[in-house]
Amino acid sequence: MADPRNPGTSDAAQAAGLLVAVAETLNERLAVTAEELARSQLLLRESSAHLMTAFRGAADRIVAAQKAAANGPEERNAEYALVLDHLYRAVHHLQSHDLVNQLIDAQKLRVGKMREKLEEALSLAAPPAREPQQPEQWIERSRAMLDCIVAGIRQIDDDARAPVRSDKHHAGSVDLF
Amino acid sequence: MKTILAVDDSATMREMVAFVLESAGYRVIEAEDGAQGLERATSTSVDLVITDQNMPNMDGLTLVRSLRELRDYKSVPILLLTTESSDAMKAQGRAAGATGWLVKPFDPATLLEVVQKVLR
Repeated sequence: MADPRNPGTSDAAQAAGLLVAVAETLNERLAVTAEELARSQLLLRESSAHLMTAFRGAADRIVAAQKAAANGPEERNAEYALVLDHLYRAVHHLQSHDLVNQLIDAQKLRVGKMREKLEEALSLAAPPAREPQQPEQWIERSRAMLDCIVAGIRQIDDDARAPVRSDKHHAGSVDLF
Repeated sequence: MKTILAVDDSATMREMVAFVLESAGYRVIEAEDGAQGLERATSTSVDLVITDQNMPNMDGLTLVRSLRELRDYKSVPILLLTTESSDAMKAQGRAAGATGWLVKPFDPATLLEVVQKVLR
């Protein structure tokens, strides 16, 4: 540990201790976030799976009935068209479920990468193996930790695969070139 | 019956696109990324391609460029159906040779209108 007779070493060791506290706090918060994301995704996936099963059942029946009654009474076809319209609305909302699921995937990936970097920082928290009584050794150690923490925070801006960037303003818009 | 190739890495999205188009009388074949889309497009005759942008293996814009290099796909309409909505991305789509750009989540009636229009 730091040499109490050398105030420079003591300050440097204290600074390194502060970085450890920052990294540990961030890591704990991210662990909670990761757990909540996973739980939310599980609920969403279960709900989406049930909705998809119900949707498939209704869609298969209405398409088959519509085909069978293609030359049938007009009233019946109008009724089928109405049901189809309701299913079309479901299509819109099922897509939103899918997009939110992808968004959660992207966030989970980011949180995971941040945690990896913070754990890397924490793995550097042990006192320097060589000359721990020298403040330079502690400063060097702190710099390496800080680099890892900053790299972890930078993951927020990094582009995860298949990001969902759609916003409500543009959703459903069409441009024909 | 017109054949439409739907390319998306999300099975749910492919299913939604296929349901809407099949309910309107189109035949739909599916591919789960750009590479598989290119393979399907070269092994089957396709009247329209609807593709997502962000996919593993090959993204939508690369698929558009690859298809436009093929003689059979010089004039086949290709629509991008994606969450991407920036003007810069749309400009890239246009430059790559895409016919149109639709932002997810799509409205089924609008999708059918656009499909009818580009297949006319």
